[in-house]
Amino acid sequence: MVRAMDLLQNEPGKKMLLLANEAIARGVLEAGVRLVALYPGTPSSEIGNNLTAMAPHLSNFYFEFSTNEKVAIEVAGAAAVAGVRSLMVCKGPGLNVAADPFLSLAYVGVRAGMVVLVADDPSMWSSQNENDSRFYALMANTPMLEPSDSSEAKSMLLQAYDISEQLELPVMFRTTTRVNHSRSPVELGSIRERPDKVQFVKDPFRFVPIPSVAYKRHPWLLGQMEKALKVSESTPLNFSSGTGSLGIITSGVAYNYAVEALSRMNIEAELLKLGLTNPVPEHMISEFLKRHTTVVVVEELEPFVETQTRRIAQLKRITVDILGKDQGYFPRTYEYTPRIVIEALSKILNRKTSIDWEAIDAKVREIPPLPPRPPLLCPGCPHRATYYAIRAATRGKAIYPSDIGCYTLSIAPPLETADILFDMGSSITTACGIAQVTGQDVVATIGDSTFFASGLPGIVDAVYNKHPICVVILDNRTTAMTGQQPHPGTGLTGMQEKVTPLDIADVCRGLGVQYVRIVRPFDSMVDLVAEVRQMVAWTRERKQPSVLVSREPCAILTAAERSRSEEPLQRYYVDTTECNGCRRCLTRYSCPAMYFDPESGRALIDETLCNMCGSCVAVCPQGAIRKGER
Amino acid sequence: MIRIDCNAAPTVNMVLTGVGGQGVLTLADMMARAAMFDGHNVRVGEIHGMAQRGGHVTCTVRIGPCATGPIVDPGTAQLILGFEPIETLREIQFVVPEGLVILNSHIQMPVAVSMGQIDYPKHELVLALIRKFTSKVLEFDALDVAKTAGGAGSLNMVLFGAAIASEITPISRSTALRSIHESFPGKFEEVNARAFTIGYSIAKDKLSY
Repeated sequence: MVRAMDLLQNEPGKKMLLLANEAIARGVLEAGVRLVALYPGTPSSEIGNNLTAMAPHLSNFYFEFSTNEKVAIEVAGAAAVAGVRSLMVCKGPGLNVAADPFLSLAYVGVRAGMVVLVADDPSMWSSQNENDSRFYALMANTPMLEPSDSSEAKSMLLQAYDISEQLELPVMFRTTTRVNHSRSPVELGSIRERPDKVQFVKDPFRFVPIPSVAYKRHPWLLGQMEKALKVSESTPLNFSSGTGSLGIITSGVAYNYAVEALSRMNIEAELLKLGLTNPVPEHMISEFLKRHTTVVVVEELEPFVETQTRRIAQLKRITVDILGKDQGYFPRTYEYTPRIVIEALSKILNRKTSIDWEAIDAKVREIPPLPPRPPLLCPGCPHRATYYAIRAATRGKAIYPSDIGCYTLSIAPPLETADILFDMGSSITTACGIAQVTGQDVVATIGDSTFFASGLPGIVDAVYNKHPICVVILDNRTTAMTGQQPHPGTGLTGMQEKVTPLDIADVCRGLGVQYVRIVRPFDSMVDLVAEVRQMVAWTRERKQPSVLVSREPCAILTAAERSRSEEPLQRYYVDTTECNGCRRCLTRYSCPAMYFDPESGRALIDETLCNMCGSCVAVCPQGAIRKGER
Repeated sequence: MIRIDCNAAPTVNMVLTGVGGQGVLTLADMMARAAMFDGHNVRVGEIHGMAQRGGHVTCTVRIGPCATGPIVDPGTAQLILGFEPIETLREIQFVVPEGLVILNSHIQMPVAVSMGQIDYPKHELVLALIRKFTSKVLEFDALDVAKTAGGAGSLNMVLFGAAIASEITPISRSTALRSIHESFPGKFEEVNARAFTIGYSIAKDKLSY
């Protein structure tokens, strides 16, 4: 894998195999970006991971893991207003969080280039929905660029900054998972110098959109988008290639599939590739439509370019068949593949596909259902112990609002402690709603990073409005799911500076929570269960929110720590003379390091997977799990 | 002996399939970098985030001038590198008819099996189902080999060696070894190079060209 330090090399012309996220981190240097603010979110996470590794080695560069996406876009937006190039990065749902400032930012505009990078997640590999963020560019009236691979991710980022400065507008840079998480060759360019401190020049009647200011800024914004249209008509980011009676319009990663489909099907077609998709190049599209009788639009998720194309055809009174999602040739769900494009074109052109995919599908259907292997809480994950205790203390009968993070995996048996989830921070607030109307016990769980990102307003709401809810904060000292980024509770910044961490228990007390206790989930399972029970009883009696902070570092951190230390390992093993094969450890705790050996009829621990947390010891009714040498 | 036909396709497609933590992503990256070093155009498709938490992981590697996107369609992969039996079967639809499957026969029990919810299919059944897609299956206990080489963590390098021995990729043996040298610092280099070499010779003994 590429190391972040390799991205710092000033060797223009050198070719590297990069993830688009790594190429974007490199692009930050080549564009002379002065400030980057983001909250980590897959599929964009590696952008921040690389930048935080590079940050201490760069002069005149500031990087932060912001508290959440709204904070990030405001920090970055203000830097661009002040006059330096800035970048905000988020995943699709993250732009929903940042939508309010994003729309105002377009009204006031920026003095130096600003890019809002949003990584959508078709197929929802690691997201709660697959919303198509491109509609934000329409709503906010900002230009939008869509790269199709790593190389474009870097080169288009540089162009995005030029367009942003030319139009004084933030530019939306929209990627998708299959761009972010694919590797392809990228040629390095030269690194651009970054300015030192700048002076903030006041201009309140531009940058403070009180109604009378906003009233004037809206027409200004629409005027800028007219200029953006001229950019869109002339930029090499929008281009056509090939010839043929068939026309194809495509954008983003789907461009690759369209190219591959044409080559594999040996079809002559003219292909219009749109890199700048807001505003779409109206003249270019209308001329393209006039050259063809059939035009196929290939893009993932919503019919964004397709709808624009239909609008233009109607506006210019062009008679042409525009085929896409509206007629059902392409799906609105999930990631595309070359196959999807080949099958759609075959249907449109009334041809057979060269590969008999239906026969392959039929053979796949003959395979009996295989044991599923979904993602799981890691061996040694402290969340498993906490959830086991929550379930035991409430006998599985409470309602368990969950939140965004690894711990949502507790939805799976045997923990089954995730009942409702909307978005970041919703565990606390959905708990409030449920507690008010049901009278059932409600135990919400939220991670430490998510707590700081979006949990605080929920705690305030619960305290002030006296919601009878129990909140367990799973404090594993990191933002685990997205790859171990620091957060305000860790004592480390994006610049890798050591600072005073915010203590979650203190924060809750400061917000007025009357019941706040801290537990260590690996200390004693019996005590842990008793703590949850006591908390639930307190909330039932006092009709107020209570907080339990379950504090234990993420298993991945623990494992890394151990591999660095020279201390002898304290292994756990099953005493097979004591184990009676009841499987309670497997059916109630289900740590992936444990398995059932059908030959001996005993449960065993896989030493290569075990993280030595020891929490399984208390789960075994026989006391057969032992520590130390056999 | 498994006969390998000369690979005339303009694009070499590979699917690597296994369990999070087995080194699937690392191997995909190393193969692509080695191919790039030898002057080839490459694409790698990965899955991050949720998929890394002990779940099923799939990577694609494509080599050749016509490799545009990272996606490999069903029926188009000349080589499947299976890190685990049922995870190989789960992705078997990607193999081109009579393409090569290199399979680590060592089973990693899914939690659903440990919990007694579902049985792990018999190995003969897994193989029979794979053979419905291709008769060319090279299977051996690669974890055993990795342990012999010096560490279970070098499982992916055993499979790397076997893949290079198949000559389905245009990556030369020396470039592959060079990429191991570059990727692993200090003590891991030796173990990984040894794992690669054993994997390579096991495959060489079982394949004909």
